[in-house]
Amino acid sequence: MKKAIFTTALLFAIIGIAFAQTGVKKRRPLPFEFGRVVINNYSEASHIAPVVFDHWLHRAKFTCRLCHVDIGFGMKAGATDIKARDNINGYYCGTCHNGTRVFGDTSVFSSCKEGSGKMNATCNRCHSLGKNVTRKYDFREFVKGWPRERLGNGVDWEKAEDRELIIPYDYIEGVSIKREKLIVQQDFKIAPKVEGMPDIIFSHDKHTFWNGCELCHPEIFTGIKKGLTKYSMVDLYEGKYCGVCHINVAFPLLDCQRCHTEKVQ
Amino acid sequence: MKNFSRFTLLSLLFLYLFFGNCIVGNFSSVYAQDDWKQEYSSVCAKTQNAMILTPEELKSYIDRCDKLLALINELEGEQAATEKKVYTKRVKMCRELYQFALEYKEHK
Repeated sequence: MKKAIFTTALLFAIIGIAFAQTGVKKRRPLPFEFGRVVINNYSEASHIAPVVFDHWLHRAKFTCRLCHVDIGFGMKAGATDIKARDNINGYYCGTCHNGTRVFGDTSVFSSCKEGSGKMNATCNRCHSLGKNVTRKYDFREFVKGWPRERLGNGVDWEKAEDRELIIPYDYIEGVSIKREKLIVQQDFKIAPKVEGMPDIIFSHDKHTFWNGCELCHPEIFTGIKKGLTKYSMVDLYEGKYCGVCHINVAFPLLDCQRCHTEKVQ
Repeated sequence: MKNFSRFTLLSLLFLYLFFGNCIVGNFSSVYAQDDWKQEYSSVCAKTQNAMILTPEELKSYIDRCDKLLALINELEGEQAATEKKVYTKRVKMCRELYQFALEYKEHK
């Protein structure tokens, strides 16, 4: 009897340890899901479905700088503390989604309206978590024929921009400030800690096209001298430094050769 | 007929003086409230060139940002809560970039 109890206990202990070490594998997002952000600061508390924001559509039309600097969206989901009142006042989503803003031949639909009270089809375009909402733009159709990439959205955004398949807006009248042309800082090399791993060539040119200066400095990269701030891949995977963008929106960190580009001697 | 014309003219003059003054008054007060936005557009317009500004210029911009932040913090009115949230973040981003560029130049 004692032997049976001992064997059962041992079996449970082994199973427990095995499960504890395995954990739950996180599902990799599908190309159209990559960069998706759910905004739920106040929605559920107000008995409204949270907002589902797709980065792919917005990044095809606007630079990161325009939204995260000029309009003022934070870099983490929920960090901006957006309220319906802010949109009604013409800020955040309401900067463009006001029913009057036009980009090219597209009139942007209006976001939260004053006194509307009830949810309607327009509200559901954004407040869509858990709902079967048909989007105006179909991802596969939208990116058809664009340069492909293995990971992320499956789109090589850099090549798409080089080939002028996308020409993102970087200025909105009445919101952005007229600035002089950016003086681009030089590209530089970062030596990895692991021997045999190719050097990283950091291109200021490519990054400033999308981000300007103040999106990265000093909030993300605080160091004033090259090489002063030490960081590892672990830090990046924790969402720090390059990981702020290169986990959820820009091409993911798994795409090693996109950064480690210098040939090994 | 003459009296009617005089009456019409006087009425029009009265309307112009009364409502015209109100409209001009409203415009000027809205304009005055938006002076801080002009200062924002001016002070944050140099972020693209922060690295080529002299330390003195950078210090001046940082000082202007601090004054602007104090002004924004005192905003009142219907949109104040939103404007404070949006513009405080925007001005802080400019200020911190100028500070970053200044520290870079001083440590060079």
